[in-house]
Amino acid sequence: MSTAMNFGTKSFKPRAPDKGSFPLDHFGECKAFKEKFMKCLNENKFDNSMCRLQSKDYLECRMERQLMTKEPLEKLGFKDLLDPPSTTQQNTKS
Amino acid sequence: MIGLSYAAVPLYRLYCQATGLGGTAVAGHDSSVVEHMSPIKERVLKVAFNADTHASIQWNFRPQQSEIYVVPGETALAFYRAKNPTDKPIIGISTYNVVPFEAGQYFNKIQCFCFEEQRLNPHEEVDMPVFFYIDPEFDSDPRMARVDTITLSYTFFEAKEGQRLPLPGYSYQPQ
Repeated sequence: MSTAMNFGTKSFKPRAPDKGSFPLDHFGECKAFKEKFMKCLNENKFDNSMCRLQSKDYLECRMERQLMTKEPLEKLGFKDLLDPPSTTQQNTKS
Repeated sequence: MIGLSYAAVPLYRLYCQATGLGGTAVAGHDSSVVEHMSPIKERVLKVAFNADTHASIQWNFRPQQSEIYVVPGETALAFYRAKNPTDKPIIGISTYNVVPFEAGQYFNKIQCFCFEEQRLNPHEEVDMPVFFYIDPEFDSDPRMARVDTITLSYTFFEAKEGQRLPLPGYSYQPQ
């Protein structure tokens, strides 16, 4: 890490999270969703892309229980998982 | 003139707190990036997770997955777990580190559990999520061309009630 004398070297500067801190889920209200997500990861060699539906479900659980500020899912990067409103009858899945 | 340059530091800090820019202001660091970014599916990156506790805190703190494979431009979720095995409540506060250093500017946490105190009651165990993404610009940076693993490390310290961890580079001012 850096000391006062290291003017030339750069050091890592932590940045605060964009939306702040998650409140702690003291009562484990969303634990079931977390378990589903972790199970999905275990089954898919920890490939996040395969488990985005489960991560969306977990975050929705938090939002419903005041454990996360409610936010439209597009703003959390899940727009591809939402059914687009279309006049044709096709249901797109990611 | 000298007075003005001294005033710049607290003024900048006020500006950062008001606008939420926090630490280094990096381009594309707002929520509209998340909404409009597209995953770069061919650039798979491994994010490895590390957990440390300072000697003074008695929490058991560990990641729930040792690694996760992500692509730039796609939001990702990961979990840590913390348990307070003692008979008294403990308040912890955490900071994090990303290596390689240069990748840190592309590592964006949308929400996590750091920099604010977290209180665990006796024998309580909680899941602690980190919701993040790697900025798609990562893929265009020639310095990142050979980076395929990013390690995220969290360290928990014991905090006193009402304490806030100062971000490095700012002098601590009690509120």
